[in-house]
Order: sequence, then C-alpha cells, then structure tokens
Amino acid sequence: MLDLLRRAQSLAALSGILVLAILISPVASDGSRIFLQPGNLTDILRQISLIGIIALAMTFVILTGGIDLSVGSLLAISTTLTAMALTRAWPHASYTSHILRAILAAVAVSTLAGAVNGAVISALRIQPFIVTLASMIGVRGLAKWLSSNENIDIGFGRDVAAEFAAVFRQKAIVIGSYACAAALFWILLARTVFGRHVRAIGDNEKAAEYAGLPIRGTKIWVYSLSGLLSGFAGVLYAAENHQGNPNAGVAYELDAIAAVVIGGTPLTGGKGSISGTIVGTLIMGVLTNMLRLKNVDSNVEMMIKAVIIVLAVAVQGRDSDK
Amino acid sequence: MAAPLLEARDVSKRFGGVAALRHAQFSLRPGEVHALIGENGAGKSTLAKILAGSVKPDAGRILIDGQPAAIASPLDAQRLGIGIIYQELDLFPHLTVGENIVIGNLCFPEGRLTSPRNVDAFCRPFLEQAGLECGARRMAGSLSIGERQLLAIARALSMNARAILMDEPTSSLFDDAAERLFGLIRELKDRGVSIVYVSHKMDEIFRVCDRATVLRDGETVETVEVAATNAGEIIRLMVGRNLQIAARPYRRPLGEVVLEAHGLTSGKLKDVSFQLHRSEVLGVAGLVGSGRSELGAALFGLDRIRAGAIHLRGSPLQPASPRDAIRRGIGLLPEDRRLEGLMMRMSVIENSTLAVLARMQKLGFIRRRQEISALGPVVRQLALNCPSLASPAASLSGGNQQKVLLARWLLLDPDVFFLDDPTRGIDVGAKQDIYRIIDGLAAAGKGVMLVSSELPDLLRCCDRILVLSNGRLTAVYDAKEATQETIMASATSFGPHMRKPVKDAP
Repeated sequence: MLDLLRRAQSLAALSGILVLAILISPVASDGSRIFLQPGNLTDILRQISLIGIIALAMTFVILTGGIDLSVGSLLAISTTLTAMALTRAWPHASYTSHILRAILAAVAVSTLAGAVNGAVISALRIQPFIVTLASMIGVRGLAKWLSSNENIDIGFGRDVAAEFAAVFRQKAIVIGSYACAAALFWILLARTVFGRHVRAIGDNEKAAEYAGLPIRGTKIWVYSLSGLLSGFAGVLYAAENHQGNPNAGVAYELDAIAAVVIGGTPLTGGKGSISGTIVGTLIMGVLTNMLRLKNVDSNVEMMIKAVIIVLAVAVQGRDSDK
Repeated sequence: MAAPLLEARDVSKRFGGVAALRHAQFSLRPGEVHALIGENGAGKSTLAKILAGSVKPDAGRILIDGQPAAIASPLDAQRLGIGIIYQELDLFPHLTVGENIVIGNLCFPEGRLTSPRNVDAFCRPFLEQAGLECGARRMAGSLSIGERQLLAIARALSMNARAILMDEPTSSLFDDAAERLFGLIRELKDRGVSIVYVSHKMDEIFRVCDRATVLRDGETVETVEVAATNAGEIIRLMVGRNLQIAARPYRRPLGEVVLEAHGLTSGKLKDVSFQLHRSEVLGVAGLVGSGRSELGAALFGLDRIRAGAIHLRGSPLQPASPRDAIRRGIGLLPEDRRLEGLMMRMSVIENSTLAVLARMQKLGFIRRRQEISALGPVVRQLALNCPSLASPAASLSGGNQQKVLLARWLLLDPDVFFLDDPTRGIDVGAKQDIYRIIDGLAAAGKGVMLVSSELPDLLRCCDRILVLSNGRLTAVYDAKEATQETIMASATSFGPHMRKPVKDAP
C-alpha cells in the first residue's frame, strides 16, 4: 500500500511537470504548443535514452546497497572501441558482420570491466564507492590511451562506419532499445529469482548470508549488467555523435544516480523499482526540455535540477521505515 | 549508621512495552563492594545506567548522601562522584591512553591548548593506581581487552569517583586479567571507594562482594549479606518460586545420532562435545556470552572451527559458510531476527520462500502459484497471523515475525534445526505456537537444538539440556531431572575452581 502511494507520488511529480511544461510551452505559428509536437516528444525520449539505459542497471546496483561510479568511463571505452573497430579492424568483413563484431567487442569489454568491479567488491570486501571510483579513473585512462586521446571520427560517406551510424542513430532504434531494455530489466527485477536476491541482499545483507543466498555471485552479476548496459549506451553514443570519443560520458554516473534516486530507490538499497527509475528519468528529461524550449540558461537549468533532486528525495524520505 | 552514599528509591523504567525496572530499590554504603545480580533481562544494567545518568528513569528518586540528586547526564554523575565502566568499554580507539582519560574530564583543567606533557603528568598517578603499565601516549586501540578495562578504571579514578559502577567487568576478561581486577577492587575498597558490581557470575560475587542485591523481572527481590548466604540461596532468589512448568506432553524414543560434535573449539568455544539424535530436542542453556550462540555459529559455518570435529549423519562436516551448511542440511534460526533474520521491507511470502526459491522456479523465473501453494500449509501449521502474505515483515508483531522466519526454515526442511532463542521477546500465545512447532519437528524425526534464555522454555521443550559457561560445557542434564536451580548453578559456574554444579537441597 505504502509502495503504491510512493509510486503514485513520483508519478504525480511527473504529471505536475508535464502540465507545467505544456502550460509554459512556446506556441508555434500554427497555434500548437511546441512541447506537444510529436517531434519534440520523441526528441525527449531520444535524449533520455542513454542515461535511461544506464539508470536501469544502476537501479540494480543501488538496490544491493552499492553504487557504480564507473558507468561514464565504461560508456567512453565502449564508444571508443566501437569507432576503432569500425574504422580500423576487419577490413574484409561484410558490413553486417563487421558491425555486429564491433558492437560485441565493445560491449564485451565494458561488461568484463563491470564484472571485475563486482568481483573486487565482493571478494576483497572493499566499498563499491571506492572500487568503482578507481575504475572510473582507470577505464577513462584506458580509453584515452587506446585512442591517443583523440576523437575517432565516423564519416558520413558510404563506408561501414557511416552505415552503422545511419542505422543506430535513428530515433526508432534508440528509443526502441531503451524500451526493450526497460522491459527486460523490469521483468528481471520483478519476476526472477535473481531479482528477488538483489532486493534481499540490499534489504539485509547479513540476513541474506544467514539464508544462504549467493551474495558474491549476485553482486558480480549486478555490476556486470551495469557494464553491459553502459557499453550498449556507448555504442548508441558513437552512432549518434558520429565519433568514438574517449572523453564521452563525463558525469553520466551522476545523472543516472539522480534518476534512480528521484524514482524512489534510496541509496541504502533494499527497495525500489524499475518503473520508479523510468519515471525519475522522464522527470529529468521533461524538465530539461521544458527549460530549453524557454531558452533558460543552462547554468540556471543545473540549479533548478539540483532543487528538484533534493525535493524529490525529501518527499520520499519522510516515511523512512528504520 | 551513616547515610547511604548512593540510593535508588522506587525507580521504574519502561522500554517500549517492556518494563525493565519496577519500583527497584538499591542502597550503596560508603566503602562497600555491592553486587547487583540477576538473570539476563532482570534489569541490572538498566539500574546501573540510571545511577550513572546515562539512562533517565520514568519514576523514582536517586539520593546521594541522603540528599535528593538530579542526575540527568553522565556529566552530572561525574560532578557527583559517580563513575561507570560500561560492559562495552566505551573508549576512543584512535586516541591515546592519556587523551582517553582527559577527554570530557571535569578534573582536568581544559580551556587552553593542552600539551601532551600536561596530559602525561595528569594521568600518571591514575595509571599507576589502576596498575596499567603503559605510557599515556599509546593508542587506546592497541591495548588488550584486559588493559582497556584497566584504562576505563583509571579514567573513573581520575574523575575523583567515590562510587564506581562496573557492568559485567569480567565478561570479556581471561582468568588472570580477572584476578588482577579483583585485586584492584580490594585496593579501591580499602581506600574508601564504593563499588557496584553488576554480574551474574556466582563465584565472583562470593570473592569480592560484601552485599548483593538480587533483581528479578525488574523488581528488587532482596539485599543480602554475602557472608551470611550461599550460592544456592542467591540462585533461588534469582530464579524465583514460580516453577509451574508444563512438561512436554509425551516423549518419543530417540532415533539414531544425526549430529555429533567432538572437542569443538572455536574463538569462543572450548572443547565442546555432544550428540544430537533424531527426534530429540537438545536444549542449550547458558547466559549471554556463554558461547551458546557461538555453538550455532560454529555449526552453521559462521565461525571458524579451530579444533575438533563435527559429524552430520555420520560424515564429517566442516561448513565453510551458511550456504554450505544449509546445503548439507543444517538450518539456523538466528538470535536477532531484525539484524540477522528478516528482510524487513520484503513481504511475508518473499521472506518465507527466500531460501528455497531454487525449487520454485523455471529458467530463473519465480513460479508464484507454486510459492503460494507451498506456503499455505506452513502458514496454517504456524498459526501465522498477518493481514496478507504481501504485507512487509516490518508491519508484523514480534511473534509473527519470528513465525515468518520459522516458515523459511520449515520450507527448507533441514535435518538439524538450531533455534537460537526463538521465544525471545514474543507474547505468550505465540510462544505456545512455537513450542508446538518444536514438538512437531521432533515428532517428524528432526534433530532440534534449542537455545533459550528462559529456563522454563528449556524444561518444557527439551529431552536433554547442555549447559555452557564461558565457552565450556559445564553440565548435561536429563530435562526430567533438571531444575531451574541446578541449571542456573551450572551456567554461573566460572573457571576451574567451580567446575562441579552446585547441588542444593530443594
């Protein structure tokens, strides 16, 4: 019951912001509100997709009581590797096989990095904050080193890289990927043994140990999933920006964490939902769009977001149950 | 006779719904060592903390030198010359010995910058008096437990305390360190310092105390001159006369041996050997800190086993983790259901099926219908009372929370159950239900080990009762022959000079 109320709370916040966005939206020459134009609405969805995808796995990480600061760097290594593989490797492969191999290689590396995060956290019992802070720094360094600190451009010609970008920057593909990932992760959390274990560990890790749950394995999987989705977001980033940029994704971890927290998952873990995180991501996305349509200074935009984050958590925190 | 140095009149205190103290009386003469004694939960520590100002009483008065005194904080107590040494030894491990003594100390002139030399000079005499042979600049965290105890005493002395309260000071000491402490207590007494000695160890009372006040269920039973009484008398006062115990309705013949420990030694346990049979309820009696929970921890793969062997169904068992122990067929119901047992934000059904999800899934997906149908009979068996199976565990009463946790183990259905104080803090009705479940487990051929702080529980449920004291097995009783007095005597015996249980005429 409380859970329902809390979910309703963040939904109410989203509706409020939507209404506000519609009310203050500039009006186009034909009299319609620009905010409500289909192009604008799908733009919002496209813009939130990358952070949204990362935030899905971040929800799992935070549910276990952990944190993953390395997601931005994992996105960077993936986007760099994607561009490198497309422009420099496998010159004789067919387009399809070349693109698939590039994506697989990039996502595999970031997933592996996530698995290493999880293994170090659970085997050495070092705080997730410290471990993922270290890999945030180290993986960023790796990305810059591999690319000699240069952007690897994906051209607009007719080569395989350009083909890749043309396909994976389409709105339908980007938004569709986010929708599919969201559905999969919602099912994973709500319906599977793994999801139940994730919540149990975050609720009471000591009791989870006494109940004989596979704590190490679950944590390794959770951080691997975070690496997987960050890597996939990196692939989309490369297509959208026509380049592999080793400096991409700076501060993405903070946006993802903000979305999770606004969505009702406390940093202590144990409770929360994928639907909440999606609502949290939408709140941030609509807010950004609304302010940009009004030409609000981007620095002011940051200040307003800061207030929204604190307000959202303050409203949810009132009925803390410990 | 002079007015008592420190007196408590009609002091009452409730914690939530539990009355910790009810009109307790206590009076401390100048220069005496006065024991506060009682079972776990009798209110000893609460009374000591009220006298030291760290807990506020709900009702009653505290008098010092016959005058009403307001002790609202530990600082007030310090001004009035009352020092306390907590069971947990509240020291700052990252400060030096000297800093630990002067911090918050009204007798140390503070205000300006303090040089380490000033601290040294201030502390030296008190360290000498306490017999702590170390420099004032050593880090407190590097001291042994015994040395920390002495540091806490030096701190109390430096505050010019006329009365020092010691809350179970030997609970973490080895025999030689305890010996030194007794010597120090005698010296302090010769110097006119009064000491309140909170303990439940009978032999210590007889060695160092002049008088003893016995508490039971938060009430003062009696204050006795130690020289004019004996251990049996004090135990009778502690346990009380209400010995109406319903015995287990019928007993089954014991089955084969299912669990056997030989010379089991862990961080806390020393050379513990026993056998557990199928259809047997084997009680484990002992005070808090006696090693009774650590016995479960060793069997369940939580504590490392240093020596000795465990055999489960005849094959050797060296559990590496709870997960391992569960796989081999041991279930442990932990002592603290909030911290070690339940996921408070998860629902009744999620908590119950947590350990057996592997049986209720297909390709990793939970089969909810199977979950509900498996839980149904267990809920009826336990007489679990909850608004819905989807309500969070936090919303249930203590007794029903305990039943949810029991449901987890009933569903898992191990061969050996180790139930650590399952009736702690739950109401009478729920207690009866849990008795019934324990009887049922034995009837189904399980081996059950039952830890309880409440002796009537053990006498009601068990076939045999192991008694632990200070990590050692001090006695094994047939439950038909044991009484609360004999068990308590074995549980309070401590050290080699009191190995044999005290037998008293009824």
